Amino acid sequence: MVKGVRYTDHRDAGNPATVTRAHNAQDADELLLLDIDAAREGRGPDVLAIAKVAEECAMPLTVGGGIRDLATAAACIGTGADKLIVTSAALDRPRLIGELARVFGSQAVVVGIDVGGAAGSWYVYDHRLRRPAEMAVAEWIKRAPEEGAGEIRLMAVDREGSRGGFDLDLLALAQSLVQVPIVLEGGGGSLEHCDAALHAGADGIALGTMLVFSDYNLVKLSRYLASRGHRMRA
Amino acid sequence: MGSAVRIVDYGAGNLASVKRAVWRAGGEAEIAATPDALADADRIILPGVGAAGTAATRLREQGWSDALDEHVRRRGKPMLGVCLGLQLLAERLHEFGEHQGLGWIPGDVEAMPASADVRVPHMGWNEVTVAPDVRALFGTSSVSPIYYFCHSFRLVGAPDDIVVARTDHGGDIIAAVRTETVFATQFHPEKSQVEGERLLAAFLAWKP
Repeated sequence: MVKGVRYTDHRDAGNPATVTRAHNAQDADELLLLDIDAAREGRGPDVLAIAKVAEECAMPLTVGGGIRDLATAAACIGTGADKLIVTSAALDRPRLIGELARVFGSQAVVVGIDVGGAAGSWYVYDHRLRRPAEMAVAEWIKRAPEEGAGEIRLMAVDREGSRGGFDLDLLALAQSLVQVPIVLEGGGGSLEHCDAALHAGADGIALGTMLVFSDYNLVKLSRYLASRGHRMRA
Repeated sequence: MGSAVRIVDYGAGNLASVKRAVWRAGGEAEIAATPDALADADRIILPGVGAAGTAATRLREQGWSDALDEHVRRRGKPMLGVCLGLQLLAERLHEFGEHQGLGWIPGDVEAMPASADVRVPHMGWNEVTVAPDVRALFGTSSVSPIYYFCHSFRLVGAPDDIVVARTDHGGDIIAAVRTETVFATQFHPEKSQVEGERLLAAFLAWKP
């Protein structure tokens, strides 16, 4: 497993199954496992790695990377994934979202949207080509649920690994466009950042760097968020 | 427990997760790839990740609905339905068109209304109100245990006497039903960590 900054500069973050066991023991609400090289290398999901993670996972498991048709999606679900994330494959062929939703249900289909830039200059980022995609950010956010997505994973690429805080403007834009849950990612670096994102109405926040490479952990975070008035599981 | 648990494989369930969760709860489950494999089952789990229409068609075409009828309703084997496995028990399913469910419980499955405050799908952890007299069925000592939900559709119109738990997400949601030897939950016990494990352990010991 690696953790990077802006999809590059990856540091080894340990064995996925071991990291999962640690998060599981700390009552993580959900685990997001992304194979960031699959799409770029044009290969399918690493089913063996997913199986090992699923083994340790008594919580919802969302899997992405290399899912480009029903067969690759079925392989992930069959191995223990509860939800699927499609990012670049959906950008190439938005109808894929509906094809997956009709078989696995909308609730299992998450569309990942990587957004580069900042408010006013946002663009959809294609991490395979490392350049902006043609689709406009607002158009893509709005279209994903229309195609059948049950959730949007909104990633502020320029903040990934930076620990500089979540992009709350981007969250507000998405909230104004769609009624499906939005999970915000990119930039979470402190307890206050997490509080601010939840306060702004994010349905979920995804943390990587903050949990893997710092002395924050989920127990500490849950306690803090509960003290700030957010409803947490005990 | 010594009881043989069989998980119905109708093509779109999260079978691996369910199997592992049963194991964590102290049981042994095997995946039933064909309806014949239910013959030696003591207990049956009907899991559920998938679209209702596709699932209902598969249940009928692959012979599952007849086999479930035989083993659960006629022979009285305990069955646990999970998420879609609850919805499939209803009479009618309104998802990508109208489909016929198994019709074991009265009611319809329909899309949950979304609004600016209420996001759909209902995804994440939510408190469930469990009636005191059925707490043992959930294996919990809590009046409002928290379970993981992940669904866009809900059961409506089921009679009060079979509804054993409710939750709230922009309105009332039926969280669990029980009738005869069938117990079914809208949430996912296999993904609900400790509370989920308790529920599964209670199901393994359930003598309806």
